[in-house]
Amino acid sequence: MNQLSNGFTLFLSLLVEAFPFLLLGVLSSGLLLLFVDERKLIATLPQNPLLGALAGSVIGFLFPVCECGNVPVARRLLLQGASAPVAIGFLLAAPTINPIVIWATWTAFRDQPEIVVLRVVFSLLIATVIGWVFSAQADLRPLLQPAVAGSMPQRFTTALRSLPAVSPQSREPYLLQSGTFLLDQPGKPLRIDTTELQTLLVASSTTAKPLPNRLQLLLENTLQELRELGGVLVLGSLVAALIQVAVPRDIILGLGQGPITSIAAMMILGGVVSICSTVDSFFALSFASTFTSGSLLAFLVFGPMIDLKGLGLMLTVFRARAVIYLLVLAAQLTFLLTLFVNLRVS
Amino acid sequence: MTQRSLRRPNSLRVLDWLDILAIAAWGLLLLNYWLTGKLSLLIHPRYFGLSVATGLGFLIISALGAWRLLKTDPAPNMRHFTLFPPGWMSSLLLATAFLGLLVAPRPFASQAALQRGVTEPLALTRRQPQAFRTDSQPEARSLIDWVRTLAVYPEPDAYTGQKVNVQGFVVDSPELPAQYFTLSRFAITCCAADAYPVGLPVKLTQSHKAYPPDTWLEISGQMTTENLAGKRQLVIQARSVKPIPEPKNPYAY
Repeated sequence: MNQLSNGFTLFLSLLVEAFPFLLLGVLSSGLLLLFVDERKLIATLPQNPLLGALAGSVIGFLFPVCECGNVPVARRLLLQGASAPVAIGFLLAAPTINPIVIWATWTAFRDQPEIVVLRVVFSLLIATVIGWVFSAQADLRPLLQPAVAGSMPQRFTTALRSLPAVSPQSREPYLLQSGTFLLDQPGKPLRIDTTELQTLLVASSTTAKPLPNRLQLLLENTLQELRELGGVLVLGSLVAALIQVAVPRDIILGLGQGPITSIAAMMILGGVVSICSTVDSFFALSFASTFTSGSLLAFLVFGPMIDLKGLGLMLTVFRARAVIYLLVLAAQLTFLLTLFVNLRVS
Repeated sequence: MTQRSLRRPNSLRVLDWLDILAIAAWGLLLLNYWLTGKLSLLIHPRYFGLSVATGLGFLIISALGAWRLLKTDPAPNMRHFTLFPPGWMSSLLLATAFLGLLVAPRPFASQAALQRGVTEPLALTRRQPQAFRTDSQPEARSLIDWVRTLAVYPEPDAYTGQKVNVQGFVVDSPELPAQYFTLSRFAITCCAADAYPVGLPVKLTQSHKAYPPDTWLEISGQMTTENLAGKRQLVIQARSVKPIPEPKNPYAY
């Protein structure tokens, strides 16, 4: 009974501490989504693969989005003609490299500032390296879902006409394609799906809409995001509380004090508990007294990049092969960096 | 197309209301915790403002959402990518908020202190002392001040004979002899999730059975050094032991 009451207090305290940051994250991502013109932003980014990857990782600062927001934004970036390193760098770094997440991490780990600093440094490093690796693939389209590849900007499509295998769908007769069509003019049906809808939205840029409409969209977006992310936060806090009170302390300590086992355990936990990056530091905090610093970092760096919820979303943009590359690269880099912290630093 | 077919299906409208209700319930819960003083059981006072503002924010957002649902009939829109079937998440949020309103959170007690290791020395990963002041009056130090001071300069003999006056709750440490118990407090830096116990052994003139675990006490006396549980450590030699009511804010910072 006592254990249950302790677990309940822990659960509530995680929620009460985390909700403010969740609300801030949701509001600011909604605002930026509606009031920032992404196309102008992309035009200013460097073309060099390494600098592009770094720039892509850093512009997360302008889009404080959780890991559920970053996939749609990365997709829009690709559709608007951003290079692969920029988009991949953004995809991996945006959930961590933004003011609200850094503030939340500082709130939780005020006593261990090195965790806050290393979280930012490692996330930037890993995102930039992976973005750079992906620049080896000049044409990203074989790695993208056909629908996304098909709606990439014209300059890519014309340049790559000679690669018919890339996007077979665009060449198939309309009758053989699945989807919804608008019979606009005879012989020229218009295909409609979410990706193309988004391309259209991009073309007509949300920033061009009248203010009342944009505010309505902002409200709608806030309600939906709060519900989804709040729900996942509740589930995540429940898991944290259950582990704290139900698993015997010597098992947790045995797992949490090993330099390698602790990192592996926290990376798996980070991948499964798809808790939003603005609030995941509070989740990690409940393990701070029993797990190594390196493993907490592994959770804080790897979790926002790759988790169950994010994987589902990534598969709407990338083919499975590309998602596996991303997962393996991110996991290896996180593991090596945080192992270094465990063995050398702390 | 008739006017009717443009309307949002009823099932979607129920889901919209469920979302709004869930967010409003959380807003009420946060404000309720603030007004009833329970916020201090859960988080560090530094973050009270954030939680209160969020409670208000949730109420405003849900009011705007309700107003929009009543006034206009939103066009069928694309719902975001969701991991769970529609309605699950808002029901979960609503259920947790109700649970929070019905069941009051309890502060951690001696059992949690034992489980979290009150008798171990403060792990090095935890808060380092902000300042080391030898000039401060020893009897003005709180329990956590004592433990922090010890973490900086652990030699118990340095404190022997100093006056002490501290408050905390009783933890019945199994490895201590019958005349002793541990006086303990939970310290938090962010929220109850990182609460960690600190404590010092107290020596009585009688058996500690007179003070059951979790009793809040104010103890004054003198510091001495003794060999307990195989190590030399600082012990409070109690001169007066006075039961006190549980403080409204049981944590130390």
